[in-house]
Amino acid sequence: MKNTFVKRLTSGLLVTGLLAASLTGCGGASDKAAGDDTTAQAAGSNAGYRTLDEIKESGTINIGVFSDKSPFGYVDENGEYAGYDVYFAERIGEDLGVDINYVSTEAANRIEYLQTGKVDIILANFTVTEERAQEVDFALPYMNVALGVVSPDDAVVESLDDLGADDEVIVISGTTAETYLTKNYPDIKLQKYDAYAEAKTAFENGNGVAWANDNTEVIAFAIENEGYTVGIPSLGDQDTIAPAVTKGNETLLTWLNDEIKTLGGEQFFHADYEETLLDTYGADYEDELVVEQ
Amino acid sequence: MDIDILKEYIPLYKEALILTLKIGWQGIFLSLILGLIGAAILHFKVPVLKTITGIYIEIFRNTPLLVQLFFIYFALPKVGIQITAETCGVLGLGLLGGAYMIETFRSGLESIPTIQTESALSLGMTNGQTFYHVILPQAVSVSVPGLLANVIFLLKETSVFSTISLMDLMFTAKDLIGMYAKTIECLFLLVVFYLIMLLPVSLLGAIIERRARYGQFGD
Repeated sequence: MKNTFVKRLTSGLLVTGLLAASLTGCGGASDKAAGDDTTAQAAGSNAGYRTLDEIKESGTINIGVFSDKSPFGYVDENGEYAGYDVYFAERIGEDLGVDINYVSTEAANRIEYLQTGKVDIILANFTVTEERAQEVDFALPYMNVALGVVSPDDAVVESLDDLGADDEVIVISGTTAETYLTKNYPDIKLQKYDAYAEAKTAFENGNGVAWANDNTEVIAFAIENEGYTVGIPSLGDQDTIAPAVTKGNETLLTWLNDEIKTLGGEQFFHADYEETLLDTYGADYEDELVVEQ
Repeated sequence: MDIDILKEYIPLYKEALILTLKIGWQGIFLSLILGLIGAAILHFKVPVLKTITGIYIEIFRNTPLLVQLFFIYFALPKVGIQITAETCGVLGLGLLGGAYMIETFRSGLESIPTIQTESALSLGMTNGQTFYHVILPQAVSVSVPGLLANVIFLLKETSVFSTISLMDLMFTAKDLIGMYAKTIECLFLLVVFYLIMLLPVSLLGAIIERRARYGQFGD
């Protein structure tokens, strides 16, 4: 993949003669750096990912999680990663018998992190979509999700058709909410942020009329913050959330699928829910959110 | 690289380029005005204002633009000052740039030997005339390379605007990668569009520099 990239890059460069000198220099340098990287990380790895054996051998697995999306993936008051996704990640580390190196990701760079081998697994509330499935391999799902829209109590948005021409809806770059609204409501003005924390602050500051995101997230936000209502609790299709691995990483994918099936036998994700999500959502959402195989 | 995807994305990048340039130039205009005023204050050693200018320079030169934008965009609304993202971008860029511009102008002003002022005054010119007709033209001519470097620096700094939801070039690229994962195409266009934006500035700068320095060096 690296090679075709360089080839394509160079062929493109012939057209833009002016760029040639600077960019080939660039391509060469990054190629070399990437080479060094792979040798340092895992000896003789396939294109950008590490197989199950290589991970076990190195003794550490890199798992991409959110650090600012409570209660799914966040850093708690002790500085430790916690949440529904992290609870599952801990178990993966345990069953693989390796240490876990958590890598904090943002919504928009989850695919990148897998494709460049920065992480082995993404466990960052990653909704399964067709577009994403072309770029990464999803394992079996462990959670359900739909989209939701939260708005302030004094101006609850109950239908996206009610929005005025100048009303802006806050979304986070790289989320399914963004893709859905771009595709189905191209006329709605979107105010995009690249991290959860910033979108949250902006919404609290009153920068947008509503915030569209995974319904789990907006419900949690409305429960935790006074003065907000989820006017649209379910928008678009019901989707699932699943771990993702680099495209073609068969060994790790198979292991993950077997692991999720085994965990289903012991109702692991119900236990996960009760441990991490019960405080936020109460028992009512348990059967709606949790997926066991 | 897929040509169809490039074609599909180019309009989005164009839009981002226009926004980046719009905010960029407004910010740079603001920074030039601030720079001139501040440099004049420092040059004439205006009491009180001189100290304020000094504090302003130190604060804005020693904090990253990202932090300044965060403060203007996320913290000010908490105390009741609501600012749109675009205004915030212009303000952030203008205030950061102002601090740099003051120092650049000042270095220009200080490079002019005092004998120039003394000669002009002895010829019967007033203080104002001396500054406007003798010192300033030479100072600006000396400052031009520094000012151009600042302009390019400021245009590049726009790449942190993504935090305040401005769809500049950088954020557009990141956003498209996040949605459709066409990384190579997106990053290629990103480099090309930054060059489209900045190469003319560099070339134009070279012309302006030659012009501005003609007065001083005759070449």
